[in-house]
Amino acid sequence: MKVILPDHAPKDMVFGPGTVGSLLNELGINPLAVIVSRNGILVPEQAVIGGEDEIRVIRIAHGG
Amino acid sequence: MKPSATSGGVPVCSCCSEPAVIYQPASQRHLCGRHLVCDVELRVASTIKNESQIREGDRVAVALSGGKDSTALLVIFSRILPSFPGSELVAITVDEGIAGYRADTLRAAETLTKQLGVNHHIVSFRDMIGDDLDTLLTGREKEACTICGILRKKALADAARNAGATVIATGHNLDDEAQSVLMNTLRGDLPRLIRDTGTGSPSLFLPRIKPLAAITEKEIAAYLFVQGLFPVLPECPYTKYALRAEVRTMLTRLEQLHPGTMHHLADSKKRIEEYCEGMAVMEPLRRCQECGDPCSGDICQVCRLRHSLGK
Repeated sequence: MKVILPDHAPKDMVFGPGTVGSLLNELGINPLAVIVSRNGILVPEQAVIGGEDEIRVIRIAHGG
Repeated sequence: MKPSATSGGVPVCSCCSEPAVIYQPASQRHLCGRHLVCDVELRVASTIKNESQIREGDRVAVALSGGKDSTALLVIFSRILPSFPGSELVAITVDEGIAGYRADTLRAAETLTKQLGVNHHIVSFRDMIGDDLDTLLTGREKEACTICGILRKKALADAARNAGATVIATGHNLDDEAQSVLMNTLRGDLPRLIRDTGTGSPSLFLPRIKPLAAITEKEIAAYLFVQGLFPVLPECPYTKYALRAEVRTMLTRLEQLHPGTMHHLADSKKRIEEYCEGMAVMEPLRRCQECGDPCSGDICQVCRLRHSLGK
């Protein structure tokens, strides 16, 4: 599975199938600080992902 | 949380059979993109009406940084403001002069206002005080957010008045509100904690309203993303100096462990305001002896800052 991290760095991972929440937990990312898309479509933390999915983790907080 | 039906491994919307894009812990619902957009816009309209934030004939100045919160606010206002007879919308962007950051957000703000057909005013620190923020902060970087906040508030207020606005709307969300309560508590700043900026005073200052104060930061990001409007922009280089950044990380962690924490904090502000109503917690407002702006002491923060900057 290909994961685009919040700093835009790509990462190939062997994962799942498992939930978005468990992926974020594995990456050490708080789900409240990001939104996540699967193949360009926004998905909630309970969505099951894996296989050839492209997952993008997008940081939502900016500024001071 | 009740188990949800799924579609392709994705829970379905609690309101229809479409795949969900977000789970709302507060309502315990999954929502698809269409129902998320409806939900957010209805809740914002409800906040505006319940708190009488906008009245007939108001000219509303949206503080538009170009970031996600103010982008969402302007988009929502462009859709719901027609239901307030006689009201008008104008957007104001403050160019602080931050290299590697502000140019992109300015472009985003200009593009959005053109798309929405909203009158857009840009004001800069350079025009107001003679220098950009980067220059003003030389050797004082750790004070970045304090200095920027004081000048930005003044620039926004002046620009709003010049644009004929009767009310200023900012994109503060629920997370921002909870962070501010905790920051003011950590600083022991009770007057700022209970300061009411929503009422305003025609002769002193314009009312400042926060229509997104009941919407979480995640809901706002999702609201924009599902409409292809989520702005991908650089981070302010001064964020690393901000107490808010530390408080944000701490509160986000607490919210994850103890859902409802942010809502409780934001709600506590309203309760403290009620307890303190009529009490002499705040200094009475008067006029700055130098510039005439409203302030709580003899000299306003902007004039004090000008002195310390040699301006």
